[in-house]
Amino acid sequence: MATDNANASGFGEVSRLRGVVFEYLSLGASVIGLVALGVLLVYVTIDAFDLANASPEWLLTYFLTLVVPFLAFCLYSVSDPAVTRRSLAALGGGLVAVAALFTAIETFLVAIPRLSWQLAYLFVVAMPVTAYLTYVGSRGRVGAVGFGLVGRLVGGIAIGLALGTLFLVFDPLVWFLAYTLGVVPAAALYAYGRWRSADRASTAAVPVGLLGVVAAVFLRGVVTTYPSDLIIYIWTLAVPIAVAGERVVADRSSRIAAAAVGGVPLAVAIAGGFLAGGLGVPGPTALLVLVTVGVPTAVYVHRTIDEGDGVVGLALPVLLVGGALVGALVVEAWGVPAPDPWLDVGYVTEAPSSTAVEAGLYPAIVGSVIIIALVAVLSFVLGVGTSVFLEEYMPESGVLGSLTRLLQVNIANLAAIPSVVYGLLGLGLFANLLGFGLGTAVTASLTLSLLILPITIISAQEAIRSVPDDLRRGSDAMGATRWQTTKNVVLPEAFPGILTGTILALGRAIGETAPLIMIGAATTVFSAPDSLFSRFSAMPMQIYAWANYPQAEFRYGVVAAGVITLLIILIGMNGTAILLRNRAERGT
Amino acid sequence: MASSHDADTEGITRRKALSALGGAGALALAGCTQSSGDDGGDGLSGSINIAGSSTVFPLMSAIGEDFAAEHDQVSVDISSTGSGGGFSNYFCVGDTDFNNASREIQPAEEELCEENGVEYVELIAATDALTVVVNPEADWIDSLTVEELAQIWESDPVQTWDEVRDEFPNEEIERFGAADTSGTYDYFIESILEERGHTSDYQATEQDNSIAQGVSGSEYAIGYFGFAYYYQNPDQLKALGIDDGNGPVEPSLETASSGEYTPLSRPLFTYPSIESLGSEHVAEFARYFVEQTANEDLVAGDVGYVPATEETQEEQMEILEDAIERAQE
Repeated sequence: MATDNANASGFGEVSRLRGVVFEYLSLGASVIGLVALGVLLVYVTIDAFDLANASPEWLLTYFLTLVVPFLAFCLYSVSDPAVTRRSLAALGGGLVAVAALFTAIETFLVAIPRLSWQLAYLFVVAMPVTAYLTYVGSRGRVGAVGFGLVGRLVGGIAIGLALGTLFLVFDPLVWFLAYTLGVVPAAALYAYGRWRSADRASTAAVPVGLLGVVAAVFLRGVVTTYPSDLIIYIWTLAVPIAVAGERVVADRSSRIAAAAVGGVPLAVAIAGGFLAGGLGVPGPTALLVLVTVGVPTAVYVHRTIDEGDGVVGLALPVLLVGGALVGALVVEAWGVPAPDPWLDVGYVTEAPSSTAVEAGLYPAIVGSVIIIALVAVLSFVLGVGTSVFLEEYMPESGVLGSLTRLLQVNIANLAAIPSVVYGLLGLGLFANLLGFGLGTAVTASLTLSLLILPITIISAQEAIRSVPDDLRRGSDAMGATRWQTTKNVVLPEAFPGILTGTILALGRAIGETAPLIMIGAATTVFSAPDSLFSRFSAMPMQIYAWANYPQAEFRYGVVAAGVITLLIILIGMNGTAILLRNRAERGT
Repeated sequence: MASSHDADTEGITRRKALSALGGAGALALAGCTQSSGDDGGDGLSGSINIAGSSTVFPLMSAIGEDFAAEHDQVSVDISSTGSGGGFSNYFCVGDTDFNNASREIQPAEEELCEENGVEYVELIAATDALTVVVNPEADWIDSLTVEELAQIWESDPVQTWDEVRDEFPNEEIERFGAADTSGTYDYFIESILEERGHTSDYQATEQDNSIAQGVSGSEYAIGYFGFAYYYQNPDQLKALGIDDGNGPVEPSLETASSGEYTPLSRPLFTYPSIESLGSEHVAEFARYFVEQTANEDLVAGDVGYVPATEETQEEQMEILEDAIERAQE
């Protein structure tokens, strides 16, 4: 056993001091970083939601109607007296401690700007306790059901909105033709092949699908009359999603239940789509949101009731919405002064403005979402392709082996090149040489994909390398070809790791500003881009421009609201990827 | 559609019922179709690309916002790239329709435009009053003469305040100013320093915000930037009067538009390209822009620059109409 004491023979004594000091130093390092980030986020949140102007009564109302019922729900789910005691002690003790400490600092040391002890209590005590209870609550059956349902509701809304956003740029008419001529025949052939075990039909599915897509692109220029957008969405998205939900339920339950699970949300969504126009909401988007929320929710509710365990948990969304409504009612009835948040519906649905109150981020949000969607696809394909080739096909020795190592070093170095340089590359290569246009979504996503490509490649390589060689050899021993081994063994094993790397890289891409400035992305646009080749803006560009405005409301409120919006979208994106990853991990 | 008056049928056969349903269905669907390639609106459509000065950016974006709201088929995009960056990277290579500038186009940029065959016309957007600010605590100072200002900012500057004027305190001067990529920097040299050059002993930044932060941090600091920041935050800093030989004049919308605030009031420009003016939507935007430069609520109230006088506006409109005529021939 090696010890730090070279002269010791046998079991000498080793001082523990260094170990203890090291432990506390690392604790200190993490605390400093996290506290600094925490303070920044707290202030950004306060600015974005105008919480500095929230009266204590307003905070108390929502604390009682929204937070307390939620905590009670979590405690009910845990149903462990020890946890209940601990949480109540933390909430109560924290109240006294924060109030005393805050007042002491204000009186004897410095005034703390834009923060009251109530807000401090909310951020320092109530939020961590809520997070803790959410975590332990989700491990109880009731909590798991409740969070599962809320997750499907929120996730469905997010996916519906994201789909609606993508169709702003991608021509729904091409999609309609491609779906009708390519996807449907291919799926039908494949299903027929599986049903009659006719291999030839299954094999023909892919070429038929491709042929259909090519025909669709060609026909788009010829055909002039199409169904309305709403009908296209019903036919190409709502019906398939409803059918998928119906299939899931049909596998384990009666036909009637399956038809209800698929049909009821579909009917509601179609009705919503046609009626939404009257309420000033775009019909197609309403349809998409209702379908992506309705079908998974219906499937989930059906499964929970079928299993009969933790059904009470299904009441969680009602509890939350009800709490918010009661809170709003109380605030309204008693005339409690409410804050006027910068981040509201108008902010995410309106164009930028020169007055802070009317300023909105909508075109920039659309721009960012589209770029990120393209970057995700491009960098995933390029990154995984490159790393599979480097890991699985390039030899490790000989001349080619040295070449591989040279490539490795270069890829690692590329990850450290300043993003401005990638911007210049994008300007020269994509915008000018290849003619994709200055500041278009295509140029931007290609540039950003190149920017994060080294990170994606390196992390995908790590993931592929960590697949045990035994698995590959085992597959070889069964007579599998290299392609079969890669497809059936290596990639499924490495998939979660590859996704983790891609998530981190995408997080960097969505916040990049410098390369966008270089490729001439607009600082401000007033309408959402309507094609991949129209000039667009992105959230960081608009936020940076607002930070320079002379009016204080822009520099604090509007910028803070932008930051929170960016964070929410980033969390939504990462959440989707993490769910996918967890599913893949469970599958293997 | 099937008729039920056929002589040789008594009831409705299944085939007839089906074809009737089919026909009705087709008719119903026909109500839900669209034909591709239609664009409604008022006829104006297309995109307008604008780049250039960060000083003109807030004004251009306020005007662009209103224009975009009125013409929803026209997409306006504005980038804040700095006057020079906009000319050399985008405008003079023919990528943008307008370039904003907080100074006149320079000879090198004129050459570049000429090489690429880009013709343009110069329009005055508004007037800005370059504002010299000190800390609000500094009650010992209210104004400076042009000469004193030059002593503080020239390439070999004085170090302490009492060297500027005897009654000032014996404290070191802290300078905060515009970075050398900015049109504000160029204009400050042109109007105050001329060949005496700009000192490099100062905190240079592109952001008015940072200058304001720096100056409000020290009683002996001095800085300069565009009027808009001071106009929107009058309590945060103290603006100095500038004495150009006729007594100190403080910067304000009135003194700048009457021409009393010399030599620091400067015109802001935008340069539309003649070729782009050939498109009706760009020409219409340019007209709208010139109209709005005299709009006091917008230029002064929302943005904080000095609006153009009626005469200037009319002159600009004539220049613009000539250019449009030339472009659309």
